[in-house]
Amino acid sequence: MALLELNKLTIQFGGLIAVNKVDLKVEKGQISALIGPNGAGKSTAFNLATGIYSPTSGKVLYKGQDISGKAPYYINGLGIARTFQNIRLFKELTVLDNVKIGCHSRSKAGIFGAITRLSAIKKEEREIEEKAYQALKLMGLEKKYDEFADNLSYGEQRCLEIARAMASEPELLLLDEPAAGMNLQEKGVLVEKINKIREMGLTIFLVEHDMKFVMGLSDRVAVLDYGVKIADGTPEEVQVNADVIAAYLGKEVV
Amino acid sequence: MTLLNGLLPPYIESIAITVGIYIIMALGLNLITGVTGQLSLGHAAYMSIGAYASAIVSLQLGMPFIFALLAGGIAAGIFGLIIGYPTLRLTGDYLAIATLGFGEIVKSLLFNMPIVGGAMGLAGIPYKSTLTVTFILVVIVIWMMLRVERSRFGRALLAIREDDIAAECYGINTSLYKVKMFVLGTFIAGIGGALWAHKIMVLQPRDFGFMKSIEILNMVVLGGLGSIPGTVLGAIVLTSIPEVLRFSSDYRMLLYGALLVIMMRFRPNGLLGGVDVTKLVKKSIKSITGSNFTNKEKKKVKGGD
Ligand SMILES: Nc1ncnc2c1ncn2[C@@H]1O[C@H](COP(=O)(O)OP(=O)(O)OP(=O)(O)O)[C@@H](O)[C@H]1O
Ligand SMILES: [Mg+2]
Repeated sequence: MALLELNKLTIQFGGLIAVNKVDLKVEKGQISALIGPNGAGKSTAFNLATGIYSPTSGKVLYKGQDISGKAPYYINGLGIARTFQNIRLFKELTVLDNVKIGCHSRSKAGIFGAITRLSAIKKEEREIEEKAYQALKLMGLEKKYDEFADNLSYGEQRCLEIARAMASEPELLLLDEPAAGMNLQEKGVLVEKINKIREMGLTIFLVEHDMKFVMGLSDRVAVLDYGVKIADGTPEEVQVNADVIAAYLGKEVV
Repeated sequence: MTLLNGLLPPYIESIAITVGIYIIMALGLNLITGVTGQLSLGHAAYMSIGAYASAIVSLQLGMPFIFALLAGGIAAGIFGLIIGYPTLRLTGDYLAIATLGFGEIVKSLLFNMPIVGGAMGLAGIPYKSTLTVTFILVVIVIWMMLRVERSRFGRALLAIREDDIAAECYGINTSLYKVKMFVLGTFIAGIGGALWAHKIMVLQPRDFGFMKSIEILNMVVLGGLGSIPGTVLGAIVLTSIPEVLRFSSDYRMLLYGALLVIMMRFRPNGLLGGVDVTKLVKKSIKSITGSNFTNKEKKKVKGGD
Protein backbone atom coordinates (compact mmCIF):
# COMPACT_ATOMS: atom_id res chain seq x y z
CA MET A 1 0.00 0.00 0.00
CA ALA A 2 1.25 3.47 -0.86
CA LEU A 3 1.86 5.75 2.09
CA LEU A 4 -0.06 8.58 0.45
CA GLU A 5 -2.55 8.13 -2.31
CA LEU A 6 -4.51 10.72 -4.24
CA ASN A 7 -7.62 9.16 -5.67
CA LYS A 8 -9.39 11.04 -8.51
CA LEU A 9 -8.63 14.13 -6.48
CA THR A 10 -10.43 17.22 -7.74
CA ILE A 11 -10.91 20.76 -6.52
CA GLN A 12 -12.73 23.54 -8.26
CA PHE A 13 -12.41 27.26 -7.50
CA GLY A 14 -15.35 28.92 -9.24
CA GLY A 15 -14.89 28.11 -12.89
CA LEU A 16 -11.32 26.87 -12.47
CA ILE A 17 -10.57 23.21 -11.88
CA ALA A 18 -7.20 23.62 -10.17
CA VAL A 19 -6.69 19.89 -9.58
CA ASN A 20 -8.54 17.60 -11.93
CA LYS A 21 -9.09 13.88 -11.19
CA VAL A 22 -5.51 13.33 -10.16
CA ASP A 23 -4.44 9.79 -9.26
CA LEU A 24 -1.07 9.58 -7.61
CA LYS A 25 0.86 7.32 -5.26
CA VAL A 26 3.69 8.19 -2.94
CA GLU A 27 5.51 5.02 -1.90
CA LYS A 28 6.99 4.66 1.54
CA GLY A 29 10.69 5.42 1.82
CA GLN A 30 10.94 7.05 -1.59
CA ILE A 31 11.46 10.59 -2.74
CA SER A 32 8.61 11.49 -5.05
CA ALA A 33 8.33 14.75 -6.94
CA LEU A 34 5.44 16.69 -8.40
CA ILE A 35 6.40 19.06 -11.19
CA GLY A 36 4.61 21.20 -13.73
CA PRO A 37 4.43 24.72 -15.09
CA ASN A 38 3.33 27.68 -12.94
CA GLY A 39 -0.29 27.44 -11.94
CA ALA A 40 -0.48 23.73 -12.71
CA GLY A 41 -2.02 22.96 -9.33
CA LYS A 42 0.98 21.56 -7.43
CA SER A 43 0.62 23.68 -4.31
CA THR A 44 -3.12 23.15 -4.41
CA ALA A 45 -2.53 19.39 -4.37
CA PHE A 46 -0.35 19.86 -1.26
CA ASN A 47 -3.05 22.01 0.32
CA LEU A 48 -5.54 19.23 -0.31
CA ALA A 49 -3.25 16.60 1.18
CA THR A 50 -2.66 18.65 4.34
CA GLY A 51 -6.28 19.63 4.93
CA ILE A 52 -6.07 23.33 4.06
CA TYR A 53 -8.61 22.68 1.30
CA SER A 54 -11.34 20.03 1.12
CA PRO A 55 -11.61 18.35 -2.25
CA THR A 56 -14.64 18.95 -4.46
CA SER A 57 -14.50 15.24 -5.23
CA GLY A 58 -12.06 12.39 -4.90
CA LYS A 59 -10.02 11.32 -1.90
CA VAL A 60 -6.72 11.64 -0.13
CA LEU A 61 -5.67 8.40 1.53
CA TYR A 62 -2.91 8.23 4.11
CA LYS A 63 -1.96 4.67 5.09
CA GLY A 64 -5.24 3.67 3.55
CA GLN A 65 -7.25 6.04 5.76
CA ASP A 66 -9.38 8.68 4.08
CA ILE A 67 -8.12 12.03 5.32
CA SER A 68 -9.78 14.29 2.77
CA GLY A 69 -11.35 17.28 4.42
CA LYS A 70 -9.84 16.53 7.83
CA ALA A 71 -8.42 19.48 9.77
CA PRO A 72 -4.73 20.32 9.15
CA TYR A 73 -3.84 19.92 12.83
CA TYR A 74 -5.30 16.41 12.80
CA ILE A 75 -3.41 15.46 9.66
CA ASN A 76 -0.17 16.72 11.16
CA GLY A 77 -0.87 14.55 14.17
CA LEU A 78 -1.15 11.52 11.88
CA GLY A 79 2.39 12.10 10.66
CA ILE A 80 2.31 14.46 7.68
CA ALA A 81 4.30 17.67 7.87
CA ARG A 82 4.89 20.28 5.21
CA THR A 83 6.76 23.39 4.25
CA PHE A 84 5.31 26.34 2.37
CA GLN A 85 6.27 27.76 -1.00
CA ASN A 86 5.67 31.29 0.29
CA ILE A 87 7.63 30.81 3.53
CA ARG A 88 5.26 30.90 6.51
CA LEU A 89 7.51 31.09 9.52
CA PHE A 90 6.50 32.61 12.84
CA LYS A 91 8.52 35.68 11.95
CA GLU A 92 8.66 37.53 15.23
CA LEU A 93 9.55 34.44 17.23
CA THR A 94 13.01 33.00 17.64
CA VAL A 95 14.35 30.18 15.52
CA LEU A 96 14.17 27.86 18.53
CA ASP A 97 10.55 28.76 19.30
CA ASN A 98 9.60 28.16 15.67
CA VAL A 99 10.92 24.63 15.92
CA LYS A 100 9.46 24.08 19.39
CA ILE A 101 6.05 24.90 17.96
CA GLY A 102 6.75 22.17 15.42
CA CYS A 103 6.82 19.72 18.35
CA HIS A 104 3.21 20.55 19.23
CA SER A 105 1.64 17.37 17.89
CA ARG A 106 4.04 15.19 19.84
CA SER A 107 3.50 16.83 23.23
CA LYS A 108 0.56 17.35 25.55
CA ALA A 109 0.86 20.09 28.20
CA GLY A 110 -2.16 22.41 28.39
CA ILE A 111 -3.07 25.53 30.37
CA PHE A 112 -2.92 23.84 33.74
CA GLY A 113 0.38 22.25 32.86
CA ALA A 114 1.69 25.67 31.91
CA ILE A 115 0.69 27.15 35.25
CA THR A 116 1.52 24.27 37.57
CA ARG A 117 4.71 23.12 35.85
CA LEU A 118 4.62 19.73 37.49
CA SER A 119 7.68 17.59 37.04
CA ALA A 120 6.10 15.68 34.14
CA ILE A 121 5.51 18.96 32.35
CA LYS A 122 9.05 20.13 32.99
CA LYS A 123 10.30 16.84 31.63
CA GLU A 124 8.18 17.21 28.51
CA GLU A 125 9.48 20.75 28.06
CA ARG A 126 13.06 19.48 28.26
CA GLU A 127 12.24 16.83 25.66
CA ILE A 128 10.74 19.48 23.38
CA GLU A 129 13.88 21.55 23.78
CA GLU A 130 16.08 18.58 22.97
CA LYS A 131 14.01 17.57 19.93
CA ALA A 132 13.98 21.14 18.67
CA TYR A 133 17.72 21.34 19.06
CA GLN A 134 18.20 18.09 17.13
CA ALA A 135 15.97 19.34 14.32
CA LEU A 136 17.96 22.57 14.13
CA LYS A 137 21.20 20.65 14.11
CA LEU A 138 19.96 18.47 11.28
CA MET A 139 19.41 21.57 9.17
CA GLY A 140 22.59 23.28 10.35
CA LEU A 141 20.78 26.08 12.17
CA GLU A 142 21.64 25.30 15.78
CA LYS A 143 23.91 28.33 16.14
CA LYS A 144 21.10 30.65 15.10
CA TYR A 145 18.62 29.40 17.71
CA ASP A 146 18.39 32.78 19.38
CA GLU A 147 17.80 34.85 16.22
CA PHE A 148 14.37 36.03 15.16
CA ALA A 149 13.19 33.92 12.24
CA ASP A 150 12.68 37.09 10.25
CA ASN A 151 16.38 37.94 10.51
CA LEU A 152 17.55 34.77 8.77
CA SER A 153 18.64 34.74 5.15
CA TYR A 154 16.21 33.41 2.59
CA GLY A 155 17.99 30.08 2.29
CA GLU A 156 18.14 29.73 6.07
CA GLN A 157 14.44 30.45 6.32
CA ARG A 158 13.73 27.59 3.91
CA CYS A 159 15.90 25.31 6.05
CA LEU A 160 14.10 26.46 9.19
CA GLU A 161 10.80 25.50 7.57
CA ILE A 162 12.16 21.98 7.13
CA ALA A 163 13.53 21.92 10.69
CA ARG A 164 10.11 22.94 12.03
CA ALA A 165 8.46 20.21 9.97
CA MET A 166 10.99 17.63 11.20
CA ALA A 167 10.28 18.58 14.81
CA SER A 168 6.77 17.18 14.42
CA GLU A 169 8.39 13.77 13.77
CA PRO A 170 6.53 13.08 10.55
CA GLU A 171 6.61 9.95 8.46
CA LEU A 172 5.75 11.91 5.34
CA LEU A 173 7.38 15.24 4.56
CA LEU A 174 5.88 17.51 1.91
CA LEU A 175 8.27 20.16 0.60
CA ASP A 176 6.81 22.91 -1.59
CA GLU A 177 9.70 24.38 -3.62
CA PRO A 178 12.36 23.88 -0.94
CA ALA A 179 15.16 25.18 -3.18
CA ALA A 180 13.41 28.28 -4.48
CA GLY A 181 15.61 31.33 -4.10
CA MET A 182 18.65 29.33 -3.02
CA ASN A 183 22.06 29.71 -4.63
CA LEU A 184 23.93 26.76 -6.12
CA GLN A 185 25.92 26.02 -2.99
CA GLU A 186 22.84 26.16 -0.75
CA LYS A 187 21.03 23.82 -3.12
CA GLY A 188 23.92 21.35 -2.89
CA VAL A 189 23.68 21.35 0.90
CA LEU A 190 19.91 20.98 0.72
CA VAL A 191 20.19 17.89 -1.49
CA GLU A 192 22.47 16.31 1.11
CA LYS A 193 20.03 17.14 3.90
CA ILE A 194 17.04 15.74 2.03
CA ASN A 195 18.93 12.54 1.31
CA LYS A 196 19.83 12.33 4.97
CA ILE A 197 16.20 12.74 5.95
CA ARG A 198 15.28 9.92 3.60
CA GLU A 199 17.95 7.74 5.19
CA MET A 200 16.28 8.44 8.53
CA GLY A 201 13.33 6.52 7.12
CA LEU A 202 11.06 9.36 6.07
CA THR A 203 9.09 9.50 2.87
CA ILE A 204 9.46 12.73 0.91
CA PHE A 205 7.07 14.31 -1.55
CA LEU A 206 8.32 17.52 -3.11
CA VAL A 207 7.39 20.21 -5.59
CA GLU A 208 10.28 21.96 -7.31
CA HIS A 209 10.93 23.91 -10.50
CA ASP A 210 14.70 23.25 -10.63
CA MET A 211 14.85 20.23 -12.96
CA LYS A 212 18.42 19.30 -12.14
CA PHE A 213 17.48 19.26 -8.45
CA VAL A 214 14.34 17.17 -9.04
CA MET A 215 15.84 14.66 -11.45
CA GLY A 216 18.92 14.12 -9.32
CA LEU A 217 16.98 13.54 -6.13
CA SER A 218 13.74 11.79 -6.96
CA ASP A 219 12.79 8.15 -7.38
CA ARG A 220 9.48 9.02 -9.00
CA VAL A 221 8.24 12.11 -10.78
CA ALA A 222 4.65 13.05 -11.59
CA VAL A 223 3.80 15.93 -13.90
CA LEU A 224 0.76 18.20 -13.63
CA ASP A 225 -0.46 20.56 -16.30
CA TYR A 226 -3.62 22.66 -15.91
CA GLY A 227 -4.59 20.48 -12.96
CA VAL A 228 -4.34 17.24 -14.92
CA LYS A 229 -1.67 14.62 -14.39
CA ILE A 230 0.02 14.17 -17.76
CA ALA A 231 2.88 11.85 -16.83
CA ASP A 232 4.18 9.72 -14.01
CA GLY A 233 7.33 7.61 -13.83
CA THR A 234 11.04 7.57 -13.15
CA PRO A 235 12.96 10.78 -13.87
CA GLU A 236 14.35 9.21 -17.07
CA GLU A 237 10.90 8.27 -18.34
CA VAL A 238 9.39 11.64 -17.59
CA GLN A 239 12.21 13.59 -19.20
CA VAL A 240 11.59 12.04 -22.60
CA ASN A 241 7.80 12.09 -22.38
CA ALA A 242 6.39 13.98 -25.35
CA ASP A 243 3.44 15.47 -23.42
CA VAL A 244 5.77 16.78 -20.75
CA ILE A 245 8.11 18.37 -23.23
CA ALA A 246 5.13 19.99 -24.96
CA ALA A 247 3.72 21.31 -21.68
CA TYR A 248 7.03 22.88 -20.71
CA LEU A 249 7.86 24.21 -24.16
CA GLY A 250 4.42 25.71 -24.45
CA LYS A 251 4.75 27.60 -21.21
CA GLU A 252 8.18 28.30 -19.94
CA VAL A 253 10.59 28.48 -22.85
CA VAL A 254 9.44 31.38 -24.94
CA MET B 1 -3.06 39.76 55.31
CA THR B 2 -2.69 43.40 56.16
CA LEU B 3 0.97 43.74 55.41
CA LEU B 4 0.75 46.65 52.99
CA ASN B 5 -2.45 48.28 54.15
CA GLY B 6 -2.06 51.72 55.66
CA LEU B 7 1.57 51.94 54.63
CA LEU B 8 0.76 54.68 52.13
CA PRO B 9 -1.35 57.80 52.54
CA PRO B 10 -4.99 56.84 51.85
CA TYR B 11 -5.18 58.74 48.55
CA ILE B 12 -2.03 57.11 47.20
CA GLU B 13 -3.17 53.72 48.49
CA SER B 14 -6.42 54.11 46.60
CA ILE B 15 -4.54 54.94 43.39
CA ALA B 16 -2.21 52.00 43.93
CA ILE B 17 -5.19 49.63 44.24
CA THR B 18 -6.71 51.05 41.07
CA VAL B 19 -3.39 50.62 39.27
CA GLY B 20 -3.23 47.02 40.46
CA ILE B 21 -6.74 46.28 39.20
CA TYR B 22 -5.91 47.74 35.81
CA ILE B 23 -2.69 45.73 35.63
CA ILE B 24 -4.86 42.62 36.04
CA MET B 25 -7.38 43.84 33.48
CA ALA B 26 -4.69 44.74 30.97
CA LEU B 27 -2.86 41.43 31.41
CA GLY B 28 -6.06 39.55 30.60
CA LEU B 29 -6.52 41.61 27.45
CA ASN B 30 -2.85 41.26 26.57
CA LEU B 31 -3.32 37.51 26.44
CA ILE B 32 -6.22 37.94 24.01
CA THR B 33 -5.01 40.78 21.82
CA GLY B 34 -1.28 40.99 22.44
CA VAL B 35 -0.24 37.35 22.60
CA THR B 36 -2.88 35.73 20.39
CA GLY B 37 -3.66 38.70 18.15
CA GLN B 38 -7.45 38.56 18.58
CA LEU B 39 -8.95 42.02 18.90
CA SER B 40 -11.47 42.33 21.72
CA LEU B 41 -13.37 45.60 22.12
CA GLY B 42 -15.47 44.50 25.07
CA HIS B 43 -13.03 43.85 27.89
CA ALA B 44 -14.88 46.24 30.19
CA ALA B 45 -18.05 44.19 29.71
CA TYR B 46 -16.31 41.15 31.18
CA MET B 47 -15.05 43.36 33.98
CA SER B 48 -18.64 44.42 34.70
CA ILE B 49 -19.88 40.83 34.70
CA GLY B 50 -17.18 39.93 37.21
CA ALA B 51 -17.97 42.99 39.28
CA TYR B 52 -21.74 42.40 39.44
CA ALA B 53 -21.47 38.65 39.92
CA SER B 54 -19.03 39.04 42.79
CA ALA B 55 -21.09 41.83 44.33
CA ILE B 56 -24.16 39.61 44.30
CA VAL B 57 -22.23 36.79 45.94
CA SER B 58 -21.06 39.18 48.66
CA LEU B 59 -24.40 40.94 49.15
CA GLN B 60 -26.96 38.17 48.71
CA LEU B 61 -25.00 35.16 49.90
CA GLY B 62 -22.64 36.88 52.31
CA MET B 63 -19.88 34.51 51.33
CA PRO B 64 -16.17 35.18 51.98
CA PHE B 65 -14.33 37.37 49.49
CA ILE B 66 -12.43 34.53 47.87
CA PHE B 67 -15.73 33.05 46.67
CA ALA B 68 -16.84 36.43 45.37
CA LEU B 69 -13.57 36.72 43.44
CA LEU B 70 -13.93 33.25 41.94
CA ALA B 71 -17.60 33.85 41.12
CA GLY B 72 -16.61 37.02 39.29
CA GLY B 73 -13.95 35.21 37.30
CA ILE B 74 -16.13 32.23 36.49
CA ALA B 75 -19.14 34.32 35.47
CA ALA B 76 -16.98 36.40 33.12
CA GLY B 77 -15.31 33.24 31.79
CA ILE B 78 -18.67 31.66 31.00
CA PHE B 79 -19.63 34.72 28.98
CA GLY B 80 -16.21 34.56 27.38
CA LEU B 81 -17.09 31.06 26.23
CA ILE B 82 -20.52 32.13 24.99
CA ILE B 83 -19.05 34.92 22.84
CA GLY B 84 -15.76 33.25 21.97
CA TYR B 85 -17.00 29.85 20.90
CA PRO B 86 -19.03 30.93 17.88
CA THR B 87 -16.84 33.85 16.78
CA LEU B 88 -13.29 32.62 17.26
CA ARG B 89 -13.82 29.71 14.89
CA LEU B 90 -14.34 32.15 12.04
CA THR B 91 -11.48 33.90 10.33
CA GLY B 92 -11.69 37.67 10.25
CA ASP B 93 -12.47 40.27 12.83
CA TYR B 94 -15.69 38.76 14.08
CA LEU B 95 -14.50 38.78 17.67
CA ALA B 96 -14.01 42.55 17.55
CA ILE B 97 -17.53 43.07 16.23
CA ALA B 98 -19.12 40.56 18.60
CA THR B 99 -17.37 41.91 21.70
CA LEU B 100 -18.28 45.46 20.70
CA GLY B 101 -21.95 44.51 20.46
CA PHE B 102 -21.76 42.36 23.57
CA GLY B 103 -20.41 45.30 25.58
CA GLU B 104 -23.37 47.45 24.66
CA ILE B 105 -25.85 44.65 25.35
CA VAL B 106 -24.41 43.98 28.79
CA LYS B 107 -24.54 47.65 29.64
CA SER B 108 -28.19 48.02 28.65
CA LEU B 109 -29.14 44.80 30.42
CA LEU B 110 -27.54 46.02 33.63
CA PHE B 111 -29.37 49.32 33.26
CA ASN B 112 -32.65 47.48 33.09
CA MET B 113 -32.18 44.79 35.70
CA PRO B 114 -33.79 45.66 39.03
CA ILE B 115 -31.85 42.93 40.84
CA VAL B 116 -28.60 44.84 40.26
CA GLY B 117 -30.08 48.25 40.89
CA GLY B 118 -30.50 49.34 37.27
CA ALA B 119 -29.22 52.81 36.48
CA MET B 120 -29.19 53.63 40.20
CA GLY B 121 -26.45 51.12 40.66
CA LEU B 122 -25.67 48.45 43.17
CA ALA B 123 -24.55 49.86 46.49
CA GLY B 124 -23.39 48.59 49.83
CA ILE B 125 -20.72 46.21 48.55
CA PRO B 126 -18.25 45.55 51.36
CA TYR B 127 -14.75 46.96 51.07
CA LYS B 128 -12.46 43.97 50.59
CA SER B 129 -9.96 44.94 47.92
CA THR B 130 -7.26 46.19 50.19
CA LEU B 131 -3.82 46.99 48.89
CA THR B 132 -2.51 43.69 50.22
CA VAL B 133 -5.20 41.60 48.54
CA THR B 134 -4.81 43.49 45.28
CA PHE B 135 -1.04 43.20 45.40
CA ILE B 136 -1.20 39.46 45.99
CA LEU B 137 -3.57 39.00 43.06
CA VAL B 138 -1.42 41.15 40.80
CA VAL B 139 1.58 38.99 41.65
CA ILE B 140 -0.40 35.79 41.02
CA VAL B 141 -1.70 37.01 37.67
CA ILE B 142 1.74 38.21 36.50
CA TRP B 143 3.25 34.92 37.61
CA MET B 144 0.55 32.96 35.78
CA MET B 145 1.00 34.99 32.62
CA LEU B 146 4.76 34.54 32.68
CA ARG B 147 4.31 30.80 33.01
CA VAL B 148 1.71 30.67 30.25
CA GLU B 149 3.95 32.72 27.96
CA ARG B 150 6.77 30.22 28.26
CA SER B 151 4.84 27.05 27.77
CA ARG B 152 3.59 24.82 25.01
CA PHE B 153 0.20 26.51 25.35
CA GLY B 154 1.68 30.00 25.15
CA ARG B 155 3.83 29.16 22.15
CA ALA B 156 0.74 27.85 20.38
CA LEU B 157 -1.00 31.19 21.02
CA LEU B 158 1.98 33.10 19.64
CA ALA B 159 1.99 30.83 16.61
CA ILE B 160 -1.69 31.63 16.01
CA ARG B 161 -0.90 35.35 16.16
CA GLU B 162 2.03 35.01 13.78
CA ASP B 163 0.40 32.76 11.19
CA ASP B 164 -2.74 30.82 11.95
CA ILE B 165 -2.55 28.60 8.87
CA ALA B 166 1.01 27.53 9.64
CA ALA B 167 -0.02 27.02 13.28
CA GLU B 168 -2.87 24.76 12.20
CA CYS B 169 -0.50 22.79 9.93
CA TYR B 170 1.78 22.16 12.90
CA GLY B 171 -0.80 20.43 14.99
CA ILE B 172 -2.46 23.34 16.75
CA ASN B 173 -6.25 23.19 16.86
CA THR B 174 -6.43 26.94 16.44
CA SER B 175 -10.16 27.37 17.17
CA LEU B 176 -9.92 25.38 20.38
CA TYR B 177 -6.82 27.22 21.56
CA LYS B 178 -8.36 30.59 20.81
CA VAL B 179 -11.49 29.70 22.78
CA LYS B 180 -9.49 28.40 25.76
CA MET B 181 -7.31 31.48 25.71
CA PHE B 182 -10.34 33.78 25.52
CA VAL B 183 -11.99 32.08 28.47
CA LEU B 184 -8.80 32.51 30.48
CA GLY B 185 -8.49 36.17 29.46
CA THR B 186 -12.09 36.94 30.35
CA PHE B 187 -11.80 34.98 33.60
CA ILE B 188 -8.95 37.29 34.57
CA ALA B 189 -11.09 40.30 33.57
CA GLY B 190 -13.79 38.95 35.89
CA ILE B 191 -11.32 38.78 38.76
CA GLY B 192 -10.33 42.37 38.02
CA GLY B 193 -13.99 43.34 38.03
CA ALA B 194 -14.57 41.59 41.37
CA LEU B 195 -11.68 43.51 42.87
CA TRP B 196 -13.08 46.73 41.44
CA ALA B 197 -16.52 46.09 42.91
CA HIS B 198 -15.06 45.54 46.36
CA LYS B 199 -12.95 48.66 46.16
CA ILE B 200 -15.42 51.15 44.72
CA MET B 201 -18.37 49.65 46.68
CA VAL B 202 -20.98 51.06 44.28
CA LEU B 203 -21.46 49.69 40.78
CA GLN B 204 -23.06 51.60 37.95
CA PRO B 205 -23.48 50.22 34.43
CA ARG B 206 -22.11 53.35 32.81
CA ASP B 207 -18.72 52.81 34.42
CA PHE B 208 -18.17 49.87 32.08
CA GLY B 209 -18.81 51.34 28.67
CA PHE B 210 -16.99 51.12 25.39
CA MET B 211 -14.51 53.84 26.41
CA LYS B 212 -13.42 51.72 29.35
CA SER B 213 -12.65 48.86 26.97
CA ILE B 214 -10.64 51.22 24.80
CA GLU B 215 -8.80 52.53 27.85
CA ILE B 216 -7.68 49.01 28.74
CA LEU B 217 -6.76 48.31 25.14
CA ASN B 218 -4.66 51.47 25.18
CA MET B 219 -2.66 50.15 28.12
CA VAL B 220 -1.79 47.02 26.19
CA VAL B 221 -0.94 48.93 23.02
CA LEU B 222 1.11 51.54 24.88
CA GLY B 223 3.23 48.97 26.69
CA GLY B 224 3.68 46.73 23.68
CA LEU B 225 1.28 44.09 22.42
CA GLY B 226 2.30 40.73 23.80
CA SER B 227 4.81 42.07 26.31
CA ILE B 228 3.98 41.35 29.96
CA PRO B 229 6.34 43.99 31.43
CA GLY B 230 5.09 46.39 28.76
CA THR B 231 1.47 45.78 29.66
CA VAL B 232 2.20 46.33 33.35
CA LEU B 233 4.01 49.55 32.51
CA GLY B 234 1.16 50.64 30.21
CA ALA B 235 -1.40 50.04 32.96
CA ILE B 236 0.68 51.93 35.52
CA VAL B 237 1.26 54.90 33.23
CA LEU B 238 -2.27 55.23 31.93
CA THR B 239 -3.92 54.73 35.31
CA SER B 240 -1.70 56.89 37.46
CA ILE B 241 -0.88 59.80 35.16
CA PRO B 242 -4.47 61.05 34.78
CA GLU B 243 -4.96 60.64 38.53
CA VAL B 244 -1.81 62.49 39.39
CA LEU B 245 -2.35 65.24 36.85
CA ARG B 246 -6.06 65.35 37.72
CA PHE B 247 -7.27 65.52 34.14
CA SER B 248 -10.96 65.84 33.63
CA SER B 249 -12.33 62.86 31.73
CA ASP B 250 -12.75 64.92 28.54
CA TYR B 251 -9.09 65.74 28.45
CA ARG B 252 -8.26 62.17 29.27
CA MET B 253 -9.75 61.03 25.97
CA LEU B 254 -7.82 63.76 24.19
CA LEU B 255 -4.64 62.53 25.82
CA TYR B 256 -5.33 58.93 24.78
CA GLY B 257 -5.96 59.94 21.20
CA ALA B 258 -2.79 61.99 21.01
CA LEU B 259 -0.83 59.26 22.73
CA LEU B 260 -1.97 56.63 20.24
CA VAL B 261 -1.02 58.82 17.29
CA ILE B 262 2.40 59.49 18.78
CA MET B 263 2.90 55.79 19.51
CA MET B 264 1.96 54.80 15.95
CA ARG B 265 4.51 57.24 14.66
CA PHE B 266 7.45 56.53 16.96
CA ARG B 267 6.99 53.16 18.63
CA PRO B 268 4.34 51.12 16.81
CA ASN B 269 5.32 48.05 18.80
CA GLY B 270 4.72 49.81 22.12
CA LEU B 271 7.12 51.04 24.78
CA LEU B 272 8.51 47.59 25.51
CA GLY B 273 7.29 45.73 22.42
CA GLY B 274 10.03 43.57 20.93
CA VAL B 275 12.24 44.13 23.96
CA ASP B 276 13.11 40.98 25.84
CA VAL B 277 13.39 42.32 29.35
CA THR B 278 15.23 39.32 30.82
CA LYS B 279 17.71 39.48 27.95
CA LEU B 280 18.11 43.18 28.47
CA VAL B 281 18.91 42.69 32.14
CA LYS B 282 21.40 39.93 31.38
CA LYS B 283 22.98 42.12 28.76
CA SER B 284 23.34 45.06 31.12
CA ILE B 285 25.01 42.80 33.63
CA LYS B 286 27.33 41.53 30.93
CA SER B 287 28.18 45.00 29.75
CA ILE B 288 29.07 45.98 33.29
CA THR B 289 31.31 42.95 33.60
CA GLY B 290 32.82 43.83 30.23
CA SER B 291 31.62 41.13 27.82
CA ASN B 292 30.73 42.10 24.29
CA PHE B 293 27.21 41.94 22.94
CA THR B 294 27.56 43.11 19.39
CA ASN B 295 25.50 40.43 17.67
CA LYS B 296 22.52 40.94 19.89
CA GLU B 297 22.44 44.64 19.31
CA LYS B 298 20.43 44.46 16.10
CA LYS B 299 17.54 42.73 17.82
CA LYS B 300 16.87 45.58 20.09
CA VAL B 301 16.51 47.88 17.13
CA LYS B 302 13.62 45.76 15.87
CA GLY B 303 11.18 47.07 18.41
CA GLY B 304 11.67 50.62 17.26
CA ASP B 305 11.04 50.51 13.53
N1 LIG C 1 -7.85 29.58 -3.01
C1 LIG C 1 -7.88 29.71 -4.36
N2 LIG C 1 -8.92 30.34 -4.95
C2 LIG C 1 -8.96 30.47 -6.29
N3 LIG C 1 -8.02 30.00 -7.13
C3 LIG C 1 -6.95 29.37 -6.60
C4 LIG C 1 -6.82 29.18 -5.18
N4 LIG C 1 -5.68 28.52 -4.93
C5 LIG C 1 -5.12 28.30 -6.13
N5 LIG C 1 -5.87 28.80 -7.13
C6 LIG C 1 -5.60 28.72 -8.56
O1 LIG C 1 -5.34 27.37 -8.87
C7 LIG C 1 -4.32 27.27 -9.84
C8 LIG C 1 -3.22 26.39 -9.33
O2 LIG C 1 -2.47 27.09 -8.34
P1 LIG C 1 -1.25 26.44 -7.58
O3 LIG C 1 -0.78 27.44 -6.59
O4 LIG C 1 -1.62 25.12 -7.09
O5 LIG C 1 -0.17 26.31 -8.75
P2 LIG C 1 1.29 25.73 -8.64
O6 LIG C 1 1.35 24.57 -9.54
O7 LIG C 1 1.71 25.56 -7.26
O8 LIG C 1 2.09 26.94 -9.31
P3 LIG C 1 3.52 27.56 -8.93
O9 LIG C 1 4.52 26.73 -9.59
O10 LIG C 1 3.44 28.93 -9.51
O11 LIG C 1 3.62 27.56 -7.46
C9 LIG C 1 -3.87 28.68 -10.16
O12 LIG C 1 -4.52 29.10 -11.32
C10 LIG C 1 -4.33 29.46 -8.97
O13 LIG C 1 -4.61 30.78 -9.32
MG1 LIG D 1 3.02 26.39 -5.99
